[in-house]
Amino acid sequence: MSTKINFIPFIKRLSRSKTAFFGLIFLCFMLLVAIFAGVIAPYAFSEQDLLNTLATPSMEHPFGTDEFGRDVLSRIIYGSRISLLVGFISVAIALVFGGFLGAVAGFFGGRTDHYIMRVMDVFLAIPQLLFAISVAATLGPGLGNLMLAVGVAAIPQYARVVRAGVLSIRSLDYIEASTASGGGKFYIIFKHILPNCAAPLIVQSTLGVAFAILVAAGLSFIGLGLEPPNPEWGAMLSTGREYIRDFPHLTIFPGLAIMLTILSLNFLGDGLRDVLDPKLRR
Amino acid sequence: MKKYLTLLVLALTIFMVGCAKEEVKTSKAKDTVIIATTYDAKTLDPYATNDVASSNIMQQIYNNLVTVDDNGEVIGELAEKIETLDEKTYRFTLRKGVFFHNGEELKASDAIFSLKRAYNEGAAIKHLINTIDLSTIKQDDDYTFSFSLTQPFSPFLVNMAHVGGGVVLNEKAVTEAGADYGFSPVGTGPYKLTEWKKGDEMTLTRFDEFYGEKPYFANMIIRVIPEASIRTVELEAGTVDLAYEMPALEVNRIEKNEDLAVSEVTSHAITYLGFNTQVAPLNDIRVRQAIKYGIDIETDVLAVFKGQAITATGALSQAVNFADETLTVPEYNVEKGKALLAEAGYPDGFSMKVWTNSKKVRVDMATIIKEQLKMIGIDLKIEVLEWGAYLQGLENDEHEMFVIGWTCQSLDPDLGLYPAFHSTGGSNFARFKNAEFDKYLDDSRLTTDTAERAALFASAQQLIVEETPWVPLANTKMAFGYSKNLKGFVPSPMMYHKLYNLRWEE
Amino acid sequence: MLKYTFKRILGVIPVLMGVTFLVFTMLHLTPGDPARIILGEQASLESVQGLRDQMGLNDNFFLQFFRYCGNAVTGDLGRSYSTNRPVFSELLSAFPYTLQLATMSIAIALLLGIPFGIISSIRQYSLFDNIVTSLAMVGISIPVFWSGLLLILLFSVHLRILPPSGGSGFISMIMPAATLAAQSVAVITRMTRSSMLEIVRQDFVRTARSKGANERHVIVRHALPNALVPVITITGIQFGRLLGGAVLTEIVFSIPGVGRLLVSAIQMRDYPMVQGGVLFIAVAFCLVNLGVDLLYAYLDPRIKSQYK
Repeated sequence: MSTKINFIPFIKRLSRSKTAFFGLIFLCFMLLVAIFAGVIAPYAFSEQDLLNTLATPSMEHPFGTDEFGRDVLSRIIYGSRISLLVGFISVAIALVFGGFLGAVAGFFGGRTDHYIMRVMDVFLAIPQLLFAISVAATLGPGLGNLMLAVGVAAIPQYARVVRAGVLSIRSLDYIEASTASGGGKFYIIFKHILPNCAAPLIVQSTLGVAFAILVAAGLSFIGLGLEPPNPEWGAMLSTGREYIRDFPHLTIFPGLAIMLTILSLNFLGDGLRDVLDPKLRR
Repeated sequence: MKKYLTLLVLALTIFMVGCAKEEVKTSKAKDTVIIATTYDAKTLDPYATNDVASSNIMQQIYNNLVTVDDNGEVIGELAEKIETLDEKTYRFTLRKGVFFHNGEELKASDAIFSLKRAYNEGAAIKHLINTIDLSTIKQDDDYTFSFSLTQPFSPFLVNMAHVGGGVVLNEKAVTEAGADYGFSPVGTGPYKLTEWKKGDEMTLTRFDEFYGEKPYFANMIIRVIPEASIRTVELEAGTVDLAYEMPALEVNRIEKNEDLAVSEVTSHAITYLGFNTQVAPLNDIRVRQAIKYGIDIETDVLAVFKGQAITATGALSQAVNFADETLTVPEYNVEKGKALLAEAGYPDGFSMKVWTNSKKVRVDMATIIKEQLKMIGIDLKIEVLEWGAYLQGLENDEHEMFVIGWTCQSLDPDLGLYPAFHSTGGSNFARFKNAEFDKYLDDSRLTTDTAERAALFASAQQLIVEETPWVPLANTKMAFGYSKNLKGFVPSPMMYHKLYNLRWEE
Repeated sequence: MLKYTFKRILGVIPVLMGVTFLVFTMLHLTPGDPARIILGEQASLESVQGLRDQMGLNDNFFLQFFRYCGNAVTGDLGRSYSTNRPVFSELLSAFPYTLQLATMSIAIALLLGIPFGIISSIRQYSLFDNIVTSLAMVGISIPVFWSGLLLILLFSVHLRILPPSGGSGFISMIMPAATLAAQSVAVITRMTRSSMLEIVRQDFVRTARSKGANERHVIVRHALPNALVPVITITGIQFGRLLGGAVLTEIVFSIPGVGRLLVSAIQMRDYPMVQGGVLFIAVAFCLVNLGVDLLYAYLDPRIKSQYK
């Protein structure tokens, strides 16, 4: 049952799937872009040139410029920081809180389980995007608030996954042995149970980051994202909408950035599922 | 198993066929004009709202006691005769033979009912008529009534021409409909409401007993299309005859199209950068002026509005009566700005927050200004607030600098200047307190002499420029695209247009 | 079965109460004064205060909450702050647009997803399969607010064959439905494929084959009906998701559905509208899920026998 991960063979098996491999490579590429944005980007993301607005792609500006004459390529490069940060942090939030709630519910069972899961049902009754919109509207704009809105809305999913995992191994011998030998309950949860739910959680988290980036871009698209002049992909797309007939480059490049990032995460998540969880193999 | 699937597919098919009874919206028969607007009306109860989208519909459905002619002069509409009995008492004589959409005849009792209702329940528009002294309302006969104001107030009649201010409702219809009146409105206007699909479209039908000239079009469909680019596409395709609020890029495109025409009007709306003049360092006039020097207003307005605005020179739009035409666009001079800041004790500048809401031109303005003010050492942090939070924050004095809009809701400048700058003004977000200014405005209300008022308003506007509680940025121009065959469209600077004058000529 | 149904319906009630409380609390934590928004920036302070009193906004939080719940039970969701219309009738006039959009999307998804899934599973690892599975991934990854814009650009602006805004009518819903369907097509294709792959490995299919039935017969008569059970479940879940998750599509195509109504209500701080709208969507969501569970229980004898 234990799915301890051995790194080298793991990568080997993963790279057997072309799509998963592509996902991994592209994701690493995006991570590098995000980390070294300051070095790679030809311009600062807020640098305006009011005499050269809405320029189509050229040598100086490979992706053109926006309505303030800012370099679109640079904004997309800096924007990767925001998208990836929101994606990973919000999933981390959901993972920590959802994981904890799910583990407690699954491990203690009975009333605790019942109440926790009823509360999760309440959250699940509101579609995730709508819930994120409501939270974002309550909190107002800002990077932290955006992460929180996207993260909170995803908590129930992680709670469910972890709970299911816990339930399936709670009754196994070594857990009972650990309980019998006087291990504290939370000690057992963290030491024995959670590590053994890792496989489905890794898969869920990878797909979750993809979804979180999508939700965050959607929130920005309807104006619930970051303050200007922060370069958020969804917000860039939203602005570009006005110019779509004459200057489609303002819409196409940020859209491609969003889609490729999400696509690579989904490919990777799918590949991981195949490798980590043979039962779920497609 | 297969049975259920078949059933499912069958059900879906029936549903889709049901949806397929397509209404063919063609403009060919031409008894119907189709207009594309940006927002849906909120309600058609004139006292419950004061938004442009609602007023635009109300303009076709209702009539006011008075209206303003093309020269900005007040003339009677439902009132046949307006007499000024003394400096604060008015007597109105109504037209005879005017009918409401429900068949009732217009009587003085309706007009009195309307004024009282506006005063007591019309929180959204009460500021337009709150000088009326209700206890003095007197009905002389079925068609004549009079009332006094609490004090002489020269802009009164002009304010009564605003859709929400002096509109006349039918007492019976309002009482019968109760809380639902807002979507079953009854007016005396040339069109009546026949169907309202919320957020989608509204159908108005010609009112045959209308007392004035009958409109050309038997029906008017007002469609809600929030995206400007989509409004243009529909206009080009001929599925829409008139499209509101065309951005600059779309205007260029429409101008190149042989079948379409564009009309523009300068609105009463002004976009400005405001200062909370009570908080340091903005309480120092030198700091405010330094910021004004640090902004290249002309370039910024061009970049943000792309020709769809005039660079503002003062606190009033040039479309408002008594706007001071001698004012000029402030000079852009970084050195002067730096010097003033140094003089005020901030040689290295300072950092500060600037508020705006999600309205695109405001965010864009703030974004550009932020970059420019870096040059004089001021570091702005833009905070985009949701509209409700924004207004609340302004009321609670939590603001420093802010980009917002202001509309003079009347041709008379009183409604543009008094609430925004008078020390007792309800929308004085700059917290501007200046005894000299207060005196100019108080005096202007007491006199009806045009030359005297012009002089007072000119001094008031010049004082605003000097004291700089605002940096006025732009007077928005509104562009409208329409089919060349559509005649008679005259856009109003108030943004509610007399659509009953439209005609079709092939 | 009846008992099971009843139990499930009862289970929905506390969830809805929870949703109401959650939304109520969030709205009250939100900055912004509804009275000020209704009256606009030009109204005086005293008018605003007066309206706050009249609207009961100055009352205790719990008083407001229980007053709301009491009214909601009788079907009174209050009146919208911005239009003064009953929230319920606002929702009812917006719902047909959303329902039509969701139904058309699901229809598209089924019509494409099931055949794709079946063919993919029969020719596992073929070129067709690889293309379909990759495209399915793209379908899941593409943001609707981007693909929608690109479709408008292509079909309305350049080709001029479809109207750019989706109001009432079948034609104008084609593009929005197609945009929204992309993800569901992908999900249903993948589910059909994996479900078929699982079924064809099972004994009864092998038996049918060994008895000499031709391959088409085996697939259509034996494998498919069984493989479709999980597909029905996922279709139901997708439908529920579309009812509540069509927000962005409705915005891009200017469709006056529930999602757009709700987002503008959130932005306008129209508390009763937000409250009622979320509750409405939650009810729809719960009912669809309930329906799916019941159908599933009905189709799957193992579950059915549990609740005889």
